[in-house]
This record gives sequence, C-alpha cells and structure tokens, in this order.
Amino acid sequence: MSTTRLLVALMFIAAAGGSCGESARPGRGPVEVPPLPDLTKLAPSVQTQIRERFAAFTTRAAAGAPDAELSQAAGDVGLLLMAAQFPDAPAPFLTRAEALAPADYRWPYYRAHFHRQRGEPELARAAFERALARQPADVAALVWLGETLLQLGQTDDAKTHFAAALALQPASNSARFGLGRVALAAGDARAAAGHFEAVLARDATAAAVHYPLSQAYAALGDTAKADLHLRQRANHQILPADPLMVELETVLDSPQSYETRGIRALEAKDWTAAVTWFRRGLTLAPENAALHHRLGAALNMTGDRGAARQAFLEAVRLSPEQFLAFYSLGVLDQEDGRHADAIGRFTAAIAIRPTYVEARLRLASSLRRTARAADALAEYRRVLADEAGHAEARIGEAMTLAQLGRDRDAVTALERAHDAAPESVVFTHGLARLLVTAADARVRDGRRAKMLVDALVQQGRTLDLGETMAMTLAELGEFDRAVAVQRDLLTAAERAGLPAVVRRIAGNLARYEARRPCRTPWTEQEWP
Amino acid sequence: MGVGAGLWLVASIAAACGGAPASAPPEAAAPAPAATPWFREQAAAAGLAFAHTNGASGRLFYPEILPPGVALFDADGDGDLDVFVPQGQPLAAAADARLAPAGARLYRNDLQVAADGTRMLRFTDITDGSGLAGPGYGLGVAAGDVDNDGRVDLYVTGFDGSRLYRNTGHGTFTDITAASGAGNPGGFAVSAAFVDIDRDGWLDLYVANNVSYRTSNATVCPGPAGAPDYCPPQIYGGLPDRLYRNLGRGRFRDVTTSALRGLTPRPGLGVSTADFDGDGWSDIVVANDGEPDFLWLNQRDGTLREGGLPAGLALTGEGKAEASMGVDAGDFDNDGDEDVIVTELTGQGTNLFVNDGTAHFRDVSAASGIGGRSLAHTGWGTAWFDYDNDGWLDVLAVNGTIIAQEGRRGRTFPYDQQKLLFRNLANGRFEDVTAAAGPAFALSESGRGAAFGDLDNDGDVDVVIGNNSGPMQLLVNDTGADRHWLGLRLTGRDGRDMLGARVAVERPGQPTLWRRARADGSYGSANDPRVHAGLGDSAVAPTVRVRWPDGAEESWPAVAIDTWTTLTQGTGR
Repeated sequence: MSTTRLLVALMFIAAAGGSCGESARPGRGPVEVPPLPDLTKLAPSVQTQIRERFAAFTTRAAAGAPDAELSQAAGDVGLLLMAAQFPDAPAPFLTRAEALAPADYRWPYYRAHFHRQRGEPELARAAFERALARQPADVAALVWLGETLLQLGQTDDAKTHFAAALALQPASNSARFGLGRVALAAGDARAAAGHFEAVLARDATAAAVHYPLSQAYAALGDTAKADLHLRQRANHQILPADPLMVELETVLDSPQSYETRGIRALEAKDWTAAVTWFRRGLTLAPENAALHHRLGAALNMTGDRGAARQAFLEAVRLSPEQFLAFYSLGVLDQEDGRHADAIGRFTAAIAIRPTYVEARLRLASSLRRTARAADALAEYRRVLADEAGHAEARIGEAMTLAQLGRDRDAVTALERAHDAAPESVVFTHGLARLLVTAADARVRDGRRAKMLVDALVQQGRTLDLGETMAMTLAELGEFDRAVAVQRDLLTAAERAGLPAVVRRIAGNLARYEARRPCRTPWTEQEWP
Repeated sequence: MGVGAGLWLVASIAAACGGAPASAPPEAAAPAPAATPWFREQAAAAGLAFAHTNGASGRLFYPEILPPGVALFDADGDGDLDVFVPQGQPLAAAADARLAPAGARLYRNDLQVAADGTRMLRFTDITDGSGLAGPGYGLGVAAGDVDNDGRVDLYVTGFDGSRLYRNTGHGTFTDITAASGAGNPGGFAVSAAFVDIDRDGWLDLYVANNVSYRTSNATVCPGPAGAPDYCPPQIYGGLPDRLYRNLGRGRFRDVTTSALRGLTPRPGLGVSTADFDGDGWSDIVVANDGEPDFLWLNQRDGTLREGGLPAGLALTGEGKAEASMGVDAGDFDNDGDEDVIVTELTGQGTNLFVNDGTAHFRDVSAASGIGGRSLAHTGWGTAWFDYDNDGWLDVLAVNGTIIAQEGRRGRTFPYDQQKLLFRNLANGRFEDVTAAAGPAFALSESGRGAAFGDLDNDGDVDVVIGNNSGPMQLLVNDTGADRHWLGLRLTGRDGRDMLGARVAVERPGQPTLWRRARADGSYGSANDPRVHAGLGDSAVAPTVRVRWPDGAEESWPAVAIDTWTTLTQGTGR
C-alpha cells in the first residue's frame, strides 16, 4: 500500500473513531476515496499535481467536508486523470463528483466526454442528457449529443438536438454542420448542400465541409461542384465553443500540456503567446529538444531570427536526431542566401529522415542556386521515385533540366506529368511556358502552347499565367499583343505592391517592345 | 428458447422496424441461443503452441506494436489448411540473445476424421527443416502460387525488407528473395497481396509499406501528462507501396513507378483485392494509418490509378482520414458487388462502405450498427465471413489498443482488448453477438492478424488469431455446420488456386450469392483461398457460375453441397 493510501486509511479510521463509529456525513456514510492509478510514468510535475489534489480530496473526505466541496475535490482529481488520458481511472472520481453535487452541470458533461473518448456512445449519450437536464440551453452539450447520436446511427434524434442548438445559437456552424450530415445520411442531398453552403458562407475556412458537400453535390448530379469541393477538402474540425473542454486541455502542468497550448497559440497566430507557452514548458523540461524547436519556430514568427536560430541550435545540440531543427536552420540559412550552409543543414535532416520531402526539395533548390544543377536534379528525382505525381518535384525537375540545357527532356517530363494528371494546372502551365521559352528551337511550339494557355485562362487568370500568355504571343510573333498583355500585368503588379514582380514584368515588356521573344522560362524568383 | 420462438421474435422486431427487405431469405433469422459455444478456443489443445514475442525492450520501438499476422494455406498439398505465423525478435542493438525466440513457425494440419465423421484438429510443428525460419523481424504474411506449380508459396513481410519462399513440396520451402527481385529492400511492410493485375496468368504482388523507420533514430511520444508511449506513424512519415509484376516462374520486376499512378507515400497496413467496379479486372484497396485509404482501380493496361477520394472510400463520410488497420472486401448485402470494411482506432469505430456497383461507396458505418458498437475498440484483423452459414456475410474483428491499459501489471504488453463478432441481420444492419459467441470472446488479447478458413473441412469457417506478445488462438467454429453450405476450390489448369475468381451461386427462388476466391484481406494475414458460401436451410444443389481472373466464364449445374468440391478452369460449360 502506498504511503498516500495508508494515510487515507488512517484518516478514515480516525474519523470513524472520533465520531464514535458514526459517519462523518450523517445519514449518508463516508465518501469512499478511489485509489489512484500508477503515476510513476508521468512527468514529475504532473505526479505532484495529481497527488496534491488527491490529498486534498482525501483530507476533505476524512474531515466530512460539505458535499459541494467534496464534489469539487473529487472532480479536480478526475479531471487531472482525464487530461492525463488514463483510460479507466477518471471514472470513479467523476462519478463521485456528480453524485455529491447533483445540480452541477459540469460533472455529467465531463463524464460524457470521458465516455466519448472511450468509445462508449450509449454512456456518453446518457451523460450528455443528464448534463442537459441541468442546463438545457447549453449549445455545446446539444451539439455533442447530436454528434454522439450520429455515431449511433440515430439520425432523427441527432437532428432534434442539432436543431435545438441552432435555435439557441443561429450562428453555430457546428450545429449546422451536424444538420447537414443528418440530411446527407437521410438521403436529402439538397438539404445537406444547403446546410453546408450556409456553413461556408459564415466561415470560408471551414474546410471540413468540403468533403460532405462534395458528396451532396455528387448525389445531386452536379459533378462540377462535387469535384470543386472535393479538391478543397482538408483535415479540419468544426467544433462548438466549449469552455469546459478548453479548461480540461489546460489543466495539466506538464511540458506536453504547455506545448499543446503553444501550438494552439501558433494556430491562432498569437506568436507572443506561443513563445510564452513554449518557454513555460522548457522550464519543466529544459532538455526537451522538440520544445526548443517549437520555441524557435515561434520566435521566428515574431521576427526574432537570432533567437530563433539559437533555439534551433539548442535543439540539435540536445538531440542530434532533431531533423526538424536541422531543416529549420537550413531554411534560415537559405533565406539569408547562405546556400552552402543550407545544403549542410538539409543534408543532415535527410540523413536522419530520408523520406523528409520538404527538406529534399529545399536541398535541391539550394543546390541549383549554387550551380549544382545535376545534384539538384538527382534530389528532385529521388522525391519523384517515391511519388511520381509530386507537383513541386516534377516542376523542379523540368526547371533543372532546362537549366542544364536539356529542353527536350524537360518538355518530356512535363508532358508525362500532364498526361498522368491532365487536371493539374501546374503541369499544363509549366509545359506551356517551356514550349515558348526553351532555348532549343526544336522544342519550341508556340501554337501548342497557345492552345494550352487559352484553356488555362478559362479556369482563371493569374499574373504568372498572364506572363506565359505574353511569352506565347511573343513567340508567335504577335509582339503588339504581347506588349499590351504585359502592360496590363505591369499595372496589376504595381497595384498589388509586388516590386520584384514589377521588375520582372518590366524586363520582359522591354524585350517585347524590342520585338524579341523571351528565352528565360523561369527567373530566379520563380524557382521553388 | 427453440428455433421457432427465435424466428417469431425476429419477425416481430423486423415488422416494428418497417419490415425486412423482400430479398431477405427466411434463413436470415437469428440462431437460437446456443447451449454450447459457437466458437471454441483450441490452439493449445490442437498443438498450436505458439507464443509471440515483439521483442519489446522498454524503448518503445514502433515495429513492436504491429505483428503478428498469420497464414492459413495448404503447405503440403494434402487438402487441409496448415498454419504459418511470423515471429518477432529483440530490436535493441544490445539485445540479450537469450531473449531471442525460436523464429517463425510452420504447423502441419494432421486433421483426424473418425469413422463416425467426428473431426479432431491436430497440428505438428514442422518448422525445422521447412526452410521457413528465415532471418529478420517478421510482421505479416501473404500466400500465393508465384510459379504456377500448384504449390502455395509464402511472402513474409517484415521490418527492413521481406522474404519470398518458394514451396518445394511436402512442407519445404526455399528462400528465393534475391532471385525473385521482390524483396522490398528498405521497405517496412505488414500486409501484401498476390493478385493478377494484368490477367497474364501470373500472380503479381502488391506490398503495402508502412513508415520510414530505423531503430537508430527511434523516438518516443509522451502523452499529455508526459508518460512515454509509442509514436503515431506520422512522426516517421509514410513509405511508398510497391507493385511487383510477375515475369513468370517467380521472377518479379518492380513496376511501382510506372504502374501505380497517383502513388503518394502513406503508412499502409491492410490490403484487400477485389473487382470493385465490376469490369472483370482486379482492383486493390489499402488501409492507411491516419491518412486517406487507397483505392487502386485497374486501368486494364497493367497500371492502376488511385481513386479513393472521388470513390468515397478514402475517408469517412464526414471527410476524416482515420487510422485504418485491417480491411476486407465482400458482398455483405448480396447485391453482387464488393463492399468494404475497415478497422480503426478507439473512438473512430470500424467503417463500413457500401458499393453501388461502380466503385462508388457510401459510408454506412453508423446506420449499419457496426460503427457505434466498435468505437471502444482498436481493430486490426477482420474479414467478411458467414460464420453461421445463413447466406449473409458476418464480421469478426480482433482488437488491441495502442495506449497502454491500466491494471495490466502481469502483462508484458498491456494493450489487450476483446474481439468483436457482428451478425448480419440481412437488412443492412448488424447485431453485436460477441457475448453469445463463447468464452473465447471474453478473453482480452492484443489481437493483430486474423486468418479465416475451414481448418477441419467441416463446412464452416474457423479463425486463427495472431496475438501480439501472446499465444496464438484457434477459434473452432461449432455452429456453422448446422446449416447447408457450398465449398469450392477453384483451380487453374496448372492446379493453382485461382485467386480473384468470382463465383455466382444460383438457386431457384433465392438471390444469387456472389463470393470470390481470395487469400488477402484482414491484416497481415493469408486466408483460406477456397470459396465458402453458407446456404442456410436450402438443400438445393446450386448452379455455380465462375468468372475466372482472365475474364472467361463457366458454369457447373447442380454442384454438390455440404462437401468440398474442386472446380478446374476448362471443365465447366
């Protein structure tokens, strides 16, 4: 028996003796204190935290404290255990907290989430219903209950709760997202599309909507919209505002908890807060290389590149396997134009993690910029060996081949990529650009490029596509039209405040005005 | 309760729910609660005395959580299924040699059939001298005849490459990894599948690679409270899968770059092959861990195009990429196309995708009842199989967490969970019948691989389970043989199992049952390549129509039921 448990037992004995065998809580008996699980694998700070709260609970239990106080004390332990992701141990503490304070909404709410995390939807449902009995207008509980019912395939009941949440909070995207999925499950694709579009109208970044919206449009036979939304899908969650669960996320005093908070701050673009949280974590774990790396990333975002570099260096000093820190150091070097140093950093990152694609692409870029195009080509091809459709690597390969004077091979590479992914704008555009700018006259084909560019323009107009259009017109000898297009682009770039682009466009404008075509497929700034 | 009362109860429920579909046959009723278990655990009694070790040293090396798969295949050509299971070993560089286990094991099935028909399973360890106790950290296994000699060869997947063993007869094998060119160098695979992609009559090989991992750069991932645990695959990054084209006689060429169009490196785990779009060419589905699943659609020119996302199979209906582990294809709704089941992480639930016949899928996990009932489990090996021979495919999943469980101090690997058995109710819904399946289902193990097949040739499907850091389990089915069944071995003219062949079982007044010959599916495991179809109470000898992998069709009238029959290509009508 641990010292703590022995102490608790002695306290109970003392309490019972002191009251001549009567309960400390007349008529209801003493509160049983559940045992703690094995805490020894946890961070020392968390062990201390949990043991202190547990001692507080046992002390109050032994002293016969009022129910509300006991409930809070039991719940505090339960929440810590839940935040620490113990699969079983939180349950008895949360159960006691709820029993001791039947009117308190929080405990059934947390129990519901505990059961959701354990994959017990029926128990979660019952607990959410108890929470709602105490606080019927809680939108978060209504939405989560709806989600739980969706998991159980009970779409009618789910709809009722999502609708109730929406009635209480008409701007709730989580409720409307739920209603959309209920409609989709019920086969009402039109209603589903309506709900999903409403979510996107309120929040264009709600990327989770795109996939089910794509399915709704597919069911309605609108394949164009279905494809459009399928391409926009991303991993994203649409969650209700949920202060209790946010509190749970921040309850632990552990390096990992501060790391999580720092990551949340980064996601919210609150760089200063992120720096603060990561530094808090490092006070608990000063040798945590990953945290040093995250701190460096946050510092870099605040603009303090010197401090960021120091943090990255500390990360690799502590852990020579910290490939992310090597990568980040390489990025700093590359941005500073120190390509030789960058090459060393990226090479180190790849040596540790050979499949680290971003590092390999950055390495290729620095190699190419240091006149090592053949080495760069090898790196792009290494990426393509694992993922033949990787757009940046394929374009990089083609650009490097062109740099090496192998225009025919560059065109062939882009043609193959285009054939494999005809819907890809990147490959089509790259191919068109090369067909009109290649140094090798045997490769140039202005008419074919014009067809490709005309098709691309139908899908949307961008500055760089406009540049390719002007290049194409110049290659076809239509210099007056090329000049007109280029002047429009110049105006647009000036309005957008893009000085580097303005210089590039102006350079080619002068070329076209002199009735000379462009023979530079991509300038330095256009390279990946 | 007798059978009649059981029928009445189910009929009442069905009526209250709007009635069963017209196509549901009368044998769809639930079996009466059994006085004896449906499944008996018989591994030790039958001689399958295998205990897996994952080599865990406490350093939480990622490969430790993945094995073992298990294979059911006829190693010695005597007509019954033998058992192969890969083994782990310590991964730490300074591992204590005394901890090293005896390696992979091959068990010969010495099935005993008494004069009264009573069957007794007996297995004999014939690993020594078999040539199968090769080096390396074994994870899973695939089975198929790579040289068309009528003998089943083995592909043992592993950490740092895989090995191909040619069956030389009588339970002996030769390691032909180097000569075959299919060693997956630098790869890290659990599941692989033999499938004839180009209809040239030779089995090609798809290898699902997992992550880029080396023990030298291993890391641990603390939980929110700082407790160290295994890392998710995204920490290491996915490795690209591999497709090997069989050039004939067991020589392979890596055609990944040219043949897998749209390949991206993802952490692959389970593989199942089937013709999802009904064009007569085999397609492939791959369960990826934490990233969109692959659906490789056969382009009929030796290449496959990845189309999981537009097909509705890559993600859940909500659009989430989940931690897919095991996968299997089967026609659970008896509408003639291949539907897909995928096991997932705790809190995600097993996913069931229903096919519309054109390789477009709808996520019916919640509506089917499987999704909600499996949320508490982390599923691995799984398969569609008709355990009660009622003509409707049921589902078994073996489970085990990836987060250490509390209160398991006596276990070296505290990640155990119970299995799940779902009965197909013939109306698109499934009932969790785990509690009724027998004491074996009350056991909690770290289940990984599961191989399905009729080990005692009595007409119902048994299951062999590979448990991580635990004993192998043999679940002998004692319920299915109470009903009628059809058992077919489909062979080519050269005597090999015709993996990928589809079978239509036609009976007057009954819906056609579509089944297929396959050894893949589940997780890191090889299943009985024979075709099994439950027929319920129907004693009619059916007409069997076979669509062979090369596209040819033949039929056989009045095929005998309640016995195993071999149908050879070219001998039908």
